[in-house]
Amino acid sequence: MKLSMLALATLSTLAFTAAHAEETITLYTSQPPEQAQQTVDAFEAANPDIKVNWTRNGTSALMNVMRAEIEAGNIQPDVLLVADPINLGTLKAEGHLMAYPEAPVDGYDKAAYDKDMTFFGTKAITTGIAYNTEIAEPVESWNDLLVEDNRGMIAVPSPLYSGAALNHLHALINTPEIGWEFYEGLNDLDVVPEGGNGPATKAVASGMAKYAIIVDANTLRAKADGSPVDYIAPQEGVSFIGEPVAIMSTTDHEEAAKKFVDFLLSKEGQELVSAQGNIPLLPGVAAPEGYPDLSSMKLIGYDVDEAVKNNDQVREQFAEIFGL
Amino acid sequence: MSLSTTAAGGRPSWTLSTLSGLLKNERALMAILALFVGVLSILPLGRLVYAAFVTSAGFELSRIADVLGGRRVFEATVNTIWISLSATALATLAGTIAALLVGASDMRGRTAWVFGFVLPLMIPPQVIALAWIQAFSPASPIMSLLGITLQPGMRHPLYSASGIVLLLGLYNAPLVFLAVRANLRRVPADLVEAARAVGATPLSATIGVILPLIRGGIFAGAALAFVSSIGNFGIQAMLGIPARVPTLITLIYRQLNAYGPSALNDMALLALLLAVLTILGMGLAGLLGRMGDQRVDGASRPFKFPLSRFHLPVTALAWGYLLFALALPLSALAASALVRGYGQPLTLETLTFENFSNAIFHHEGIREAFFTSLWLTGLAVAILIPTSVALGYFLSWRKGVTPRLLYLSSQLAYALPGIIIGVAMILFFLKPLPVLGTSLYGTIWVILAAYLSNFLALALQPILGGFAQIERSLDEAAQVVGAGIFRRLRDIILPVLAPAAAASAILVFMTAINEIQTSVLLVSSRAQTIGPMIIFLEEAGSSTLAAAVGCLMVIVILALMLVSLTFARRLPQGVLPWHD
Repeated sequence: MKLSMLALATLSTLAFTAAHAEETITLYTSQPPEQAQQTVDAFEAANPDIKVNWTRNGTSALMNVMRAEIEAGNIQPDVLLVADPINLGTLKAEGHLMAYPEAPVDGYDKAAYDKDMTFFGTKAITTGIAYNTEIAEPVESWNDLLVEDNRGMIAVPSPLYSGAALNHLHALINTPEIGWEFYEGLNDLDVVPEGGNGPATKAVASGMAKYAIIVDANTLRAKADGSPVDYIAPQEGVSFIGEPVAIMSTTDHEEAAKKFVDFLLSKEGQELVSAQGNIPLLPGVAAPEGYPDLSSMKLIGYDVDEAVKNNDQVREQFAEIFGL
Repeated sequence: MSLSTTAAGGRPSWTLSTLSGLLKNERALMAILALFVGVLSILPLGRLVYAAFVTSAGFELSRIADVLGGRRVFEATVNTIWISLSATALATLAGTIAALLVGASDMRGRTAWVFGFVLPLMIPPQVIALAWIQAFSPASPIMSLLGITLQPGMRHPLYSASGIVLLLGLYNAPLVFLAVRANLRRVPADLVEAARAVGATPLSATIGVILPLIRGGIFAGAALAFVSSIGNFGIQAMLGIPARVPTLITLIYRQLNAYGPSALNDMALLALLLAVLTILGMGLAGLLGRMGDQRVDGASRPFKFPLSRFHLPVTALAWGYLLFALALPLSALAASALVRGYGQPLTLETLTFENFSNAIFHHEGIREAFFTSLWLTGLAVAILIPTSVALGYFLSWRKGVTPRLLYLSSQLAYALPGIIIGVAMILFFLKPLPVLGTSLYGTIWVILAAYLSNFLALALQPILGGFAQIERSLDEAAQVVGAGIFRRLRDIILPVLAPAAAASAILVFMTAINEIQTSVLLVSSRAQTIGPMIIFLEEAGSSTLAAAVGCLMVIVILALMLVSLTFARRLPQGVLPWHD
């Protein structure tokens, strides 16, 4: 009796192990930690046989880690979920991204994903102006920020750290009425771009800065939490990114990685995006309450292929202006 | 020094007996030690120096001039120097006064006070910085409880160069305290009593007799404080980056973040500049310290000035300092960890343990980083203690050029800011290893290598003290009857050395579990340690979660310190800094 119990226990352990033959994929993401954990939790719940090991950092910072990994011949992530199309475009051009032609993009606008099916937008994030409602007045134009009263009081994430900020830089310098002059103006006001959207949000919410050039979701989440901030879409327009997901060409877990992409593009994944306070890209999934309608804002686009080509030079010029 | 010269030549094959015969040989042990220090400290640092000067384009003087002459680097260098010097002055003042209070007065409750005074040194600097930031933020829960608010639009008072100086000064004051207290113990009581007999007041006796006698200790403490300030990444990064006060150490970190490995050569050059500043500071303090009075070595009974009618005010001031330097920031940290959104006031309605449960149960990354740090630190201790015992043996009893050289390199690797070791490790381990064909970069093993390199000197210190107390004839007697080096180390030396080895293990463990600067450049998705986690969470804007992780680290450290106190009496005096 005892023996058979033991055998049964052993067998069931074996069966249990077999059923949980876990596959682990590595994700590099620039989502805030809480959101990244939610995304991973939701995916793991939907795919119990796959485990996700994730690392978070600013997009540009992650890319530099990957540069080192590429140099060391040791690329770690299987999947990327990062902010901007430029860094992904660069990786694609170098052959580091895997094409996934069968990705479930039905219903998505063609502009939401790469035409060669190597990366896919998962949400819409615009970058505009946040202002502290207690100490600052709303402005209408980007250039309205450049006044003496704002000296040292504008929080700006750095394109050298944040992908959204890099995307924003490319968008603004390609807009004739704004251009590099805007960044030179910031430098003249002793504003130094630094870090990512998180600290900039904190700065404007706590009153250390009057204005911040940050993404909509951070501002509106802080507003919902009771911070004295509000979001402005200036008249020249706002830049936007789709936080694309991509699979690395070096992955050993192709199927699991594809499932991750499938999940983010699914209705369930898009509803999670909305629940996290971002605007989903799949038509028919409602945006979070209180969000400005995408169609009511002017969106600034730019030629991504061109940006990929001159990205190094743009970053250099940026660093030059601010003496970084 | 090659292994083959010590092998019994001519034997047909490698058998176990040849191997043990080889290992019995002291020269073989020496060779292993040389290999250990060579691969972990000398070669990576050499690689760093090489990379600083020679790029793929060869040696270019113009590049070096460009990098070192840049506006940012110049600004960062100047900031680094004056911030570290000011912080050292502050730490020296606070540490010396504290040591005099504890060592030369009859202040009551000294044991508890010393524990509180030394505690900040054991808490990771990034946690200390985070705690202070929360304590003085415009939305501080503590401030709002006290009814004080900073005017909106005001900059955070600590996000400034003076904020960095203040925190570095408070953080390093215990270092000066420890050095001065050790020195005070050796001041002969009869000298002080003689001064008192001819009518000197306690104050004038302190200034006229004691201070000159403990000058060496003060300068030694100041040197420690300077080196520690210059290399304190946690405080400089948490305050200096948002305050836009660049220092060399944050500049190096941000260059890797912003430019990746393409900036490695420039980073190496900056690291070298930082190393030169560190060594200059140490040299200067050493010089000044040697000019002090050396007649303090006699064994003596302790002397204590009675505080008499000043007892109450002095005790109140002393505890007031602890309240300010420790209780205020730590309670602010706890309060921030207990609310959901950054800047919410702590009330019964906003009180939540969500951040703690997130940190412990929900964020797998945080939990894993905790465990990675724990076992990595344990492994480092397990390797470093036997290594230090062996190296200590050669240093104490087999003086010679090689052990001396190894000692100096380990000292250098310890004194240099951890971030320099980090850069050296990346440079050395980035390319795939020659024989194995795989790169260690991005794995846990690079961090282990950095720990071994960085903390060898720390492990060695108490063990050298232990050797100084052993009667050498024991070892010689064993040698005469033919006991090999390993046998003697195990049977004769280790039992006598056990308390010193335990102390050294505790020191290394506490230092490595806290560290941030060594691993901040080396962590990756497969290898996260807990120290840098707080900076990453803070950078990502998750302040309340960062605060919760900070609280948990403080709790772990406190528990370790309290546990160590239970067997403090069995350790040599002055080994556990937090024990009076």
